[in-house]
Amino acid sequence: MSDDKTLAETLARQGVSRRTFLKFCATMASLMAMPPSMAAEMAEKLARVRRQSVIWLSFQECTGCTESLTRSHSPTLENLIFNAISLDYHHTLMAASGTAAEAARETAMKENYGKYLMVVDGSVSTKDSGVYSTIAGVTNHDMLVDVAKGAAAIISVGTCAAFGGIPKANPNPTGAVPVSDIIKDKPIINVSGCPPIPVVITGVVAQILTLGTIPELDQHGRPKVFFGDTIHDRCYRRPFYDQGKFAKSFDDEGARNGWCLYELGCKGPTTYNACATTKWDGGVSFPIESGHPCLGCSQPDFWDAGSFYAPLSTGEWGSGTVLAAGVAAGAAIGVGAALAARKRQDTIGGGK
Amino acid sequence: MNQIKGIPIAVDGAFPEVAQSHGNATPLLHEIEVLLSDLLATGKSASIDLRSLPMLPGDYEGLREALGDGEVSATVDAMGPTQVRETAVHGVWWVTHYNSDDTVIAEFIEVTYMPEILRTHPADAREGLDSLRTRLTQSTETDKGDADV
Repeated sequence: MSDDKTLAETLARQGVSRRTFLKFCATMASLMAMPPSMAAEMAEKLARVRRQSVIWLSFQECTGCTESLTRSHSPTLENLIFNAISLDYHHTLMAASGTAAEAARETAMKENYGKYLMVVDGSVSTKDSGVYSTIAGVTNHDMLVDVAKGAAAIISVGTCAAFGGIPKANPNPTGAVPVSDIIKDKPIINVSGCPPIPVVITGVVAQILTLGTIPELDQHGRPKVFFGDTIHDRCYRRPFYDQGKFAKSFDDEGARNGWCLYELGCKGPTTYNACATTKWDGGVSFPIESGHPCLGCSQPDFWDAGSFYAPLSTGEWGSGTVLAAGVAAGAAIGVGAALAARKRQDTIGGGK
Repeated sequence: MNQIKGIPIAVDGAFPEVAQSHGNATPLLHEIEVLLSDLLATGKSASIDLRSLPMLPGDYEGLREALGDGEVSATVDAMGPTQVRETAVHGVWWVTHYNSDDTVIAEFIEVTYMPEILRTHPADAREGLDSLRTRLTQSTETDKGDADV
């Protein structure tokens, strides 16, 4: 349950120093493309916040989103954000079960009505009165509507909650829909990905806690700081695309040389996510760096968007002419990308 | 993920040379020049987030070589090490944050008189004072007790 200790006090009791806290905020600011100078301010604000009540509802999902968030190597800085929240209900993680678990949810809702954060992973079944997915005898639909009434904001974690995801893929037997199809009167932040990047989830929570604001969102309701660029824009293999150097099959010379995976079906050019910059598994790598094309998992309806291994068609993105133009633009890409990144930072931070 | 370094990998044959630089070092040096000039004129610190840039190993090396090594280096042990190093250009610091697995999680060029992570926060200084006073009080009481014996 929420308590009256500030986050700094809670962390101090756990032996977490203020410098560790500053380091966490510097990392967060970096991930959120904020000016690095924001880190100190963010640390000051986050240190003073009271623990935020969070109610996490899991609907039609595979638990991959929760795994993504909790399976990072501990102790990590990202995990610090768990100390900033009071996770009052999460039926996979909480010790209580059955009636006791549902009672904990109801108590948290009552005590923090209008103030709690609601996190949803999984899509919502609507077909046949939503009978295909229930918790404690209550359909996902009804629980979503009930809990959303007292929520300050909703974070739809994962592509299922954000866009319907795999449950919504053809032929969508359960009539799955995203949270935003049902809830219309609350701010909803979509953190898509299958699964989403853990630090993107914690980054959104950190921003809400520190700045008290909802991040600026893109046309799909995703935070622009993480979803503002395509994978292609930020890919370290981008220079090879610009030079017209492509892998034609897995393990050919191009693949071994680390050339662009566009012709092997990479969806990087049409996929907005932060994989290329934050990477995965503690910053070790991301799919393209491991030699596999991007599947586009953070985009709506990615599962029904054709083969993962067929190149994007002309209608979806670019053309042969554009490819050729890319070669000519190659020389300027390094500085161009650097300037774009700086411009983005300045815009967000209100800097010069 | 330092464990990954321990996985033995046999590489058969030589890999052809791949691109090692985007040519980012020179534009960054110009930016650092502007920031350092601002620091002197206004006292305002600034940072460049190296992780937000598409840096290849050659870019890092180019920047490192151009900035050189200065006379100050420090390691902060805060849930994984943070290395703070002043470059040969005074007022320009290279700050690298690692997690507890020794993976780089953030890296900055800080243009400042003193990187923030090295400063003692006033709240910590207050706590230090309280702690010291408690120790002195205990020490005084112990000395008094010894004298009474």
